[in-house]
This record gives sequence, structure tokens and C-alpha cells, in this order.
Amino acid sequence: MSTFSGLTTASSAIAAARRGMDVVGQNIANQMTTGYTRQRLETSAVGAPSVYGRFATGEQPGNGVSIDGIARLGDAVLDARVRDTLAASGYWTTRASASAAAEAALAEPTEDGIAHQLSEFWAAWQDLANAPDSTAAAAAVITHAETLAGRIGDAYRKISDQWSSAHTTAATTVSQINALASQVADLNGAIRDAAVSGSSPNELVDQRNLLAQNLARLSGATGTVEPDGTLTVRIDGNAIVSGADARAIVVSGPSSLEAGGGLTLTWATDSAMTVDAVGGELGGLLAVLAPAGDGGVLAGVAEDLNALATALAASVNAQHQAGVTTDGTPGGDFFSIAVGGPAALGLGVVPQGRADLAVAAPGGGPLDGANADALSGIGNAAGGPTGLWSDVIARLAVSTAAEAGRASRADSGAIAAVSAQQSVAGVDVDEETVNLLTLQTAYQAAARVLTAVDEALDVLINRTGLVGR
Amino acid sequence: MISRVTSQTMTATALRNLQSGLGDLARLQAQATSQRRFAAPSEDPAGASNTLGIHAAQRRNEQYTRNIDDGLAWLTTVDSAITASTGLLGRARDLTVQGANSGALDATAREAIAVELEAIRTELMAQANTTLLGRSVFAGTSEGPAFAADYSFGGVAGSSVQRRVSDGETVRVDANGAEVFGDGATSVFALLDSIVADLRSDVNVGPRLAEIDDRLNSMLGVQGAVGARQNQVMRAKEAALDASVALESQRAAVEDIDTVEVLVQLQAQQLVYQSALSVTSRVLQPTLLDFLA
Repeated sequence: MSTFSGLTTASSAIAAARRGMDVVGQNIANQMTTGYTRQRLETSAVGAPSVYGRFATGEQPGNGVSIDGIARLGDAVLDARVRDTLAASGYWTTRASASAAAEAALAEPTEDGIAHQLSEFWAAWQDLANAPDSTAAAAAVITHAETLAGRIGDAYRKISDQWSSAHTTAATTVSQINALASQVADLNGAIRDAAVSGSSPNELVDQRNLLAQNLARLSGATGTVEPDGTLTVRIDGNAIVSGADARAIVVSGPSSLEAGGGLTLTWATDSAMTVDAVGGELGGLLAVLAPAGDGGVLAGVAEDLNALATALAASVNAQHQAGVTTDGTPGGDFFSIAVGGPAALGLGVVPQGRADLAVAAPGGGPLDGANADALSGIGNAAGGPTGLWSDVIARLAVSTAAEAGRASRADSGAIAAVSAQQSVAGVDVDEETVNLLTLQTAYQAAARVLTAVDEALDVLINRTGLVGR
Repeated sequence: MISRVTSQTMTATALRNLQSGLGDLARLQAQATSQRRFAAPSEDPAGASNTLGIHAAQRRNEQYTRNIDDGLAWLTTVDSAITASTGLLGRARDLTVQGANSGALDATAREAIAVELEAIRTELMAQANTTLLGRSVFAGTSEGPAFAADYSFGGVAGSSVQRRVSDGETVRVDANGAEVFGDGATSVFALLDSIVADLRSDVNVGPRLAEIDDRLNSMLGVQGAVGARQNQVMRAKEAALDASVALESQRAAVEDIDTVEVLVQLQAQQLVYQSALSVTSRVLQPTLLDFLA
């Protein structure tokens, strides 16, 4: 054992305490940093060198402390759970907010809704039945019909606009996903290099986890940490990030609701290879944008509006044609539907004034109002347009309520997962303060050890061997 | 304790709870200020579906009330026209009885009766062509006056003016002019004309009394029917009023809030929110650093 080994031990202790304080400083500095995971100095005791043979001097103490590394106190399982729950939350929240927006666009049950305007339209026919000779009552019927057609068209346009904006968002989300994937791939490379060169990759891993979380929220991607420290990210079972390589996805399909059909997601490298099981916000958007047959809420509402326009035109036209106008000519079409394009947008009113309205029943006399009364009766008929629309609203309300419930449950799941992750990874000021105190005391004690050894050596070197001088 | 608690998780939890408390407060406040139980159908799908049905029924009921008022105006007009006509015809009958005393009357007296009868015929004609808002109430569904100058009835055979007073009930609100006043040569006007002609040519008008009585009876018969329909419409009006009260209370039960309940909930939620704020302010402040000398 060397004479000066006590000094080395004390110096290693001083170095370790100082490094420990640096780590505490880093933790405290980053307590508000998003995605930061607390770190801890890993140390181990250095054993005594084994000496055999002639100069062995018996039992020896160890040779101080060794700094093994700076550990990142994250939990890969909790991180993975956060990614999964964020993906579910992103998916359901996107769907729920699209449903809620569609519901708001229809503005039921207020006076701005279609149901109210339908009632007004049917009532206007009664007023005309009371006064078949009144041009004002006839004008009221035509105006109410035009307002009704306009309102159905407006509702369709709102839904169509919502579809277009969701479509734009889907395209943006895809480019965000591609950007995130290539950043994760870059970080994978940097982390591998850091591991090889022996520097600490902790902060890089934090950054990568944050990016992977965003990637999962957007696309429902799952991640696996490989033995070399890189994170493999998979969508639909295929790697979008593997090592330092990233692949891109592209979205294609119709650009408007009227065009029909759903969007397709493919790999940029191979357009024949589709990405089917995509989750997260992108999955939610694709579900919202799907055709009505596949459960797409916007296309479903648009189809309902078309069905309402068609049913309204068919029932009113049939009854209108059964009547005669004041001068005895049989009634023509009341509503027209423009050929080509959605029925809800093409709904128009044919009659221009009282002379075109078939108010009377055939043979009932010029001022008969029987046919107007019958037209008004369509509003109360079972399976008529009013009932049809009421069913649409009820169905939409039930499905929106269900979506909102799922979104709120998925959200609670995500909150619980993030809480669990933060409870392990988050910085606690009290804990760091205690660590700081401990390290400070350790530093002082180590310095005292150094002083003690120094004084002992001083006695040995400077004060011994002076006998008789 | 299984999970490690840090100041950050506490802050996050406190923030989340405050947020949800504030959300509840906002929802209750929206209910209290709008007085509506739900803003979107998805908040209460069953209620929303009822609401649409009730609103439609309310609008229909409101329309029936308008129809009933319009129908009552028709029936009242018809009734008063017939009342006036029976009065006129009664006077004509008196005059005819007077004229039938052929021995006691000289030509001048008969001429005076004839002139008055002609005036009565003109008045009857005016009653028969009574209009309401430009429509002749005895002409049914036809345009123009009920009776032309040649006493021919202008109505359309078999047609009537109907008013819808409820979902399943319509009431006839006009009277057939031909039933009340007759048509052409058999009309009351032609009858009076021929009595006048008889008086002037000194023919005994006594036998004509039976014809006048027939006409009077048929007028009274129609008036009875009109009165019965008036009753029917009045009953429908009462029913519509009852229905409007019932529908409004149904609508209120589905759509409107119970103000007292919401206010109590609002108070309770306010208390919860305030205590959450005060607890949070106490818990989040201290750290170990405050207690180290």
C-alpha cells in the first residue's frame, strides 16, 4: 500500500461528491423541462489491490470511490404505456371532436335547425289552405320552402367544409409523422454513437422519448427499445423507424366529400403496400373521413341530408302533383333536384307564385284548400321527412355521446399513464435538496479526510528524524 | 404508497382537479344562465329526440289555433247572415199574409207590399253574397259571388270549405248557398219575385205561404247545423288550448332546468372549487428549502 493512497481515496471522494452535486444541479435545472427524466450518479467502492508475496502487509482498506456513470431513472414499460394510451386518446378525441362539430353544424334543437324550418314549412301550407286566394300566403309557402332548401344545403356545405378541413389536417399530420420519424431516426444514430464513445446519452434518450410519444399520439405507433439502445417504431407491424433509418408514409384519395370514397395510407417506398391499422390522431381522422358505409360520421351525416332532400322532394312532389292549381291545371313538381351532385345541394323550389301552387284537390273548386291541407299533413305522416330527420338527429346524438364517453375514458387512461411515468421520472425538489445536503456533507467529510492524511504525513515528513539537531 | 410523489406530480394533479372543478362550474353556470338542460343533443340524446317531436307538435298546435280562429270567423259570419236572412224572410212572410187578404187591399196597398218585398229580395241577395276577407261565405270553394243576378248558384257541387282543427279532425266552416237560399228558379229570390208578380196581377198569394215556410225551415235547418259546427270548433279550441299547456309542460320537463336544483348545485360546486383553490395554494408553496436554515 502506497504512502499516499489515503490522499487518492479522499480525492476520489471529493470528485464523486462534486460530480453528484453537478447531477443534482442538472436535475434541479431541468425540473420544468418537458420529457426530462431525473438522473442519479452511480458509484461503486474501489477495492484494495491484492498483494501477495513477501511484501504483503495484511488486510487493506479499499481505494476510494469510482464514478460508474450517470443513470437515467426512466422506466421503459411506463414509457411504452404512455405511448399506447396517448395513441388511444388521440384516436378517440379526434373522432369525438369531429362528431361534436358535425352536431353543432346541424344546430338542433334550436330555431336555426332544419327541424324548426320543416315545421314552419308544413304550417305555411295550412295558412295557404285557409286562404287559397291569398298571394301573401302563397308567397309565404314558397319563401319557407326556399329557406328550408337553403338550410339543408347550408348544413351539407358545413359538413363538406368540415370534411375538407379534416382532410387538410390529415395531410399535415402525415407530414408531421414523417418529420418526427426522421428525427427519431437521427436521435437513434446519435444515441448509438454516444453509447459507443462512452458519453452519456441520457438527454438524447429523453428527447427521443418525447418525439416517440408525439409519434404515437399522431399515428398510434408502437416502440421497442433494441439492445443497442435504438428505438424501433412500428406502424401496422412495419417499422417506420429502424435504427438510424426512417420510412415515410403518404396519404392519397379523394379531396372532397362529394367525390366519395375514403383515404388510403401507403408507404412512400412502395405505393402498393397500404398501412391499414393506423391509430392515433391520424387513425381518428381517417375514420372520420371514411365513406358512410365504413362508419365515417361526416359522410354519414351528408348521406342523411341527401336522403332528407330526396324524401322531402318525393313526398311533397307526389302530393303536389295530385292537386290542381286555381285555374284547374294539375300541379307540377314542387321541389326540383339538380341532376349531378348531392341532392341536398341541388334542392330547388319550382313554383314562382300562387298560380303555380296546386292548392286544390281535383274537382274541389278553384278556392279549395284540400290539397294544401294534405301537403301540410306530410309533416305529421309516419315515416315522413320530419320523422326521418328526427331519427337522424337522435342517431347522431347517441353516437356523439358514445364517442365523447370513449374519448373521456381514453383521456383518463392517458392521464393515469403519464402520472405513473412522471411519478418515476419527475424531479422532486425536496429529494434533490436532501441529496444536495448529503453530497455537501460528504464533500466536507472527504476534505477533512484529506486534511487528516495531510497532517499525518506532515508529521512524518517534516517533524521526524530531528533527534539531537 | 406505491407511487412516488413529486412536487411536479402534485402540481399536475392539482391543476387537473382545478380544471375539472372549473369545468363543472362552467357547465352549471351555462345551465343556470341559459335555463336549458342541454346545449347539444349528445348531452341528452333521449331528451333531444323528444324535444324535436314536442317542438313539431307545438308548432302544429299553434297552427290549429290559427285555423280555429279563422274557422270561427267563417262560422260566425255564416250564422249571422242566416239569422239576418230568416228575419228578412219572416218579414216577407208577414207581408205575404197581408197581401193574401185580397178583398181588403186595393191596388195601391198591394203595390206598397210588392215594393217592400222587392226591397227584401235585394237585402236577401246581399246577405246571400256576404263576404269575409273578399270571399263569399256561401259560395264554397268557387271564386266570385254565391249568387249571380239571375239567381243561379255559383258554388261547386259537392265541395266545401274545411278547416283543420286537430291532427285528425277537419270542420266544415261554410254553408251551402243552394241549401240556404235555393238555386235559380227555385231560389228564395225567384219565389219573392213571383209573389211580387202575383200581387201586381192580383192573384191570391195565400198558397205561397207554404213555399215561404219550406224555405224558412231549410234555412233554420242549415243554421242549426252551423251552430253545431260552431260548438265543435269551440270544443276544438278548448282542446287546442289544453294541448298547448300540456305540450309546454312536456317541453319544460325535457328542456328546462330545475332552477332551484341547479342553483344549489352551483353553490355546492363553488364551495368545492374554492376549497380546492385554497388547499392547492397551501400545498404547492412549501418545499424543504423553506425549512433549511
